[in-house]
Amino acid sequence: MHLRKYAAIAKASLEVIFVYRASFALNMVGTVFYVVAMFYLWQTIFLGSPGALGGFTWPEMKAYLLVAFLLNSLMTWFDEWVMGRDVREGRVAVDLARPIDYQTKRFAEAVGPIPFELFSALLVGSVVVFVFGGIALPTDPAHLALFIVSVALATLLKFAIIYCVSMTAFWTTGMTGIVVGRVAIQNLFSGALIPLVFFPDWLRAIAAVLPFQGLVSTPALTYLGKMDGPTTALMLGIQAVWAFGLLLFGRLLWRGAVKAVTINGG
Amino acid sequence: MAARLRPARRLVYLYFRCLGQQMKAILAYEADFVVLLFSAAIVQLAGFAFIWTIFQRIPDINGWTFWQVVMMYALIFITEGVGSLFFEGTWWLSWLVYSGEFDQVLVRPVSPIVQVLAGRVGFNGLGNIVTGGVLMAIALTNVPIAWTPGRVLMLVVLILSAAMIRVALNLGTAAIAFWIRAPWSMVPMFVHQLGEFAKYPITIYSTAVQAVIVVAIPFAFVSFFPTAFIFGVDAWSLPGLLTPLVAVYCLFMAVTVFNIGLRRYESTGH
Amino acid sequence: MPLIEAIGLTKKFRQAVKEPGLVGSLKHFFTRQYKDKLAVDHIDLSVEAGESVAYLGPNGAGKSTTIKMLTGILVPTSGSLIVDGLVPHEKRQQNARNIGVVFGQRTQLWWDIPVIESFNLARDMYEIPPKQYKANLAEFTELLGLAEFMNLPAGKISLGQRMRADLCMALLHDPKMLYLDEPTIGLDIAVKDSIRKFIRSRVEESGTTVMLTTHDLGDIEDICNRIVIIDNGKIIHDGDLAALKDNYARDRVIHFQLARPPESIAPICAGLPACELTNDGLSLSVRFDRFQFAAGEIAAAVMPHVEVLDFRIDEPEVEDLIRKVYLGQLTLDAPDSAANATEPAVPLGA
Repeated sequence: MHLRKYAAIAKASLEVIFVYRASFALNMVGTVFYVVAMFYLWQTIFLGSPGALGGFTWPEMKAYLLVAFLLNSLMTWFDEWVMGRDVREGRVAVDLARPIDYQTKRFAEAVGPIPFELFSALLVGSVVVFVFGGIALPTDPAHLALFIVSVALATLLKFAIIYCVSMTAFWTTGMTGIVVGRVAIQNLFSGALIPLVFFPDWLRAIAAVLPFQGLVSTPALTYLGKMDGPTTALMLGIQAVWAFGLLLFGRLLWRGAVKAVTINGG
Repeated sequence: MAARLRPARRLVYLYFRCLGQQMKAILAYEADFVVLLFSAAIVQLAGFAFIWTIFQRIPDINGWTFWQVVMMYALIFITEGVGSLFFEGTWWLSWLVYSGEFDQVLVRPVSPIVQVLAGRVGFNGLGNIVTGGVLMAIALTNVPIAWTPGRVLMLVVLILSAAMIRVALNLGTAAIAFWIRAPWSMVPMFVHQLGEFAKYPITIYSTAVQAVIVVAIPFAFVSFFPTAFIFGVDAWSLPGLLTPLVAVYCLFMAVTVFNIGLRRYESTGH
Repeated sequence: MPLIEAIGLTKKFRQAVKEPGLVGSLKHFFTRQYKDKLAVDHIDLSVEAGESVAYLGPNGAGKSTTIKMLTGILVPTSGSLIVDGLVPHEKRQQNARNIGVVFGQRTQLWWDIPVIESFNLARDMYEIPPKQYKANLAEFTELLGLAEFMNLPAGKISLGQRMRADLCMALLHDPKMLYLDEPTIGLDIAVKDSIRKFIRSRVEESGTTVMLTTHDLGDIEDICNRIVIIDNGKIIHDGDLAALKDNYARDRVIHFQLARPPESIAPICAGLPACELTNDGLSLSVRFDRFQFAAGEIAAAVMPHVEVLDFRIDEPEVEDLIRKVYLGQLTLDAPDSAANATEPAVPLGA
């Protein structure tokens, strides 16, 4: 059965992470520095200002930052380098000959390590909460349920974005610049660095038409229950449209690129 | 005297020769080159947008103004750029030792440190230096500073010292490869990420964190103290004068650790 | 005064011993236990300038460890080692100026830059005088056929081309010593041939001392005149290659193709004492000591008894010899006693 095939790929991916767990752990701790720095920064900002900022209280802000951290932790093992390597080493031809859908295969691999990433993120989050004090929790179980849906969509969306950007592998040889650039833009416009509500109007408008807000802002705001019913449904809908749209777009790009390559004999 | 200098001059010459060759090799891949330059610029612009957005809501962070924080950011980026452009080789050491290719380095009549440092070039460094330089220039011109020749000289010294500290940290931590063999550099990357703290005034952190980035891994001397000195923030500017000394100290420690590691490599064979 | 003088050279490695499993890891964390491995065990080696030495041994015998000590990469545990008047690990960079090294599976060339630029970098690193550099470069380019790929980066040329370029780079600075580690591995026959010829010519014309570790016995036959065999860290043989063949590789075998299977080979055996005859249907093989009989004599003894359609002769193989040594089936005597023996120390044809 098809699912079994991809489940096996996902499992293998998780095992690889486990083998490299020391390196993975060290990498995790490294990203923690970023979170801790952010916590100190925002703490200073909130302590210095009376009341709420941008509609956020300090406990809500802490929750926001941790949710952002959680979402950024998922699928970190998958970046543009994965496909870059495939293209560079000429493995594309091999994959084409296999009875496996390339995009689904990559997705299975990307999803595999998630349990590990989730566990690490929660661990780190707990430590941060311990040090900095309590965070806001969802008051309404509906929010929590919708949050989980939103996280799933965000993960799909993240994969779709990276997959599309990975297509540049057919034109460049080193993917470092691409990854770094994409992460920077993504961090800014997803709301990971700062809640989008803080942006001036013109910047907000740009963020609204980009897919990135579905990566952090939408799930985080859902968690905090900051949006009313209709708005939540709308935002989740936008998430889904971007996710599936980009997945489809990725497939089209892939087909086009493969055609070009097989004609030229890459 | 000239004879004494000759080996040093030769090393510097060879360093630039090797580096130059690496650069030529990378420039052959034009698309990559352009992407690297732009990606560095994008990262900095995103960071700048972040701080700018924050400062739309608040007048200062712990008394530190917008341009002062921009200056700290700029210093972090510029020094990282110098590290990437001229000394990217430190990230290569782990692989060299792990694969045994380090033997080939030892078999040549040139200092291993020079060979390692000159072995790789990261052109994103150029993007970082240029963008960071622009940010710094904007920050400095937007604030009334009493510029004297002494102050200008001090600025140059501080930037160079800050870069030296960064490179020394990269080299010293990369030398862990002589004790812990791994295909890529885990520990140096880990330490590198401590730099995240140095983007903001250290006054916001707890004493524990401050102790780490001032004394243990002196990132504070890369951005915070130099900024405090240049902007004339009296309470914090004195350590700024110490920055060159810290730089020399870090470099000395890094080379020492490297040489100890080298001796270990020569005695255990890997 | 030998170029290389090693006396009682020893290298001992301390290996941490860890039991498998979680219990083992915990135990290891608290109390470390070590096991000593004697990779090189008090060897004496003396190499004069201009010699070409094959340094053989099964895997793990201590070959690379010895070479690493000779090149100054590894510090010996004990014993003395002097190469061209220097202690290699103490004066590593100075020693490096005197040596050229070719690693068979890795290249000394820089990967992404044209081969000629690698050479130019080598010129600067070794501070080769311009005249000498130009002359050597021209000579090696022609002898090794480098012109066709001089401007390509190392990453884009074939293994054979890379090997030739590596050889050139190792010799540009006219080193006194050339260390070769599996230089012809993975190469095709034509390239192997040209490389061996080139190395041989360096030995004969420039007096370069060559030390070669290899598993390819064709390399040995073509390049070396001395063979040193190391096993378990100890040198078990050190002597002239020709003498080795004379003493231990004395067998030639003639395979005769017959018209009809003989009824009995007894009469032939009677005419060829101390020879080993085997008969399998239409083929008859005679194994004989080449110092006792000439091939013609053997043929003359066989042909009156059977009708011979065709024959071929197997020459003594160093390969066979070495294999037996590795397998422990053959122990070679110390160099001196072997030269005097008229009969080999162990029965042949094992």
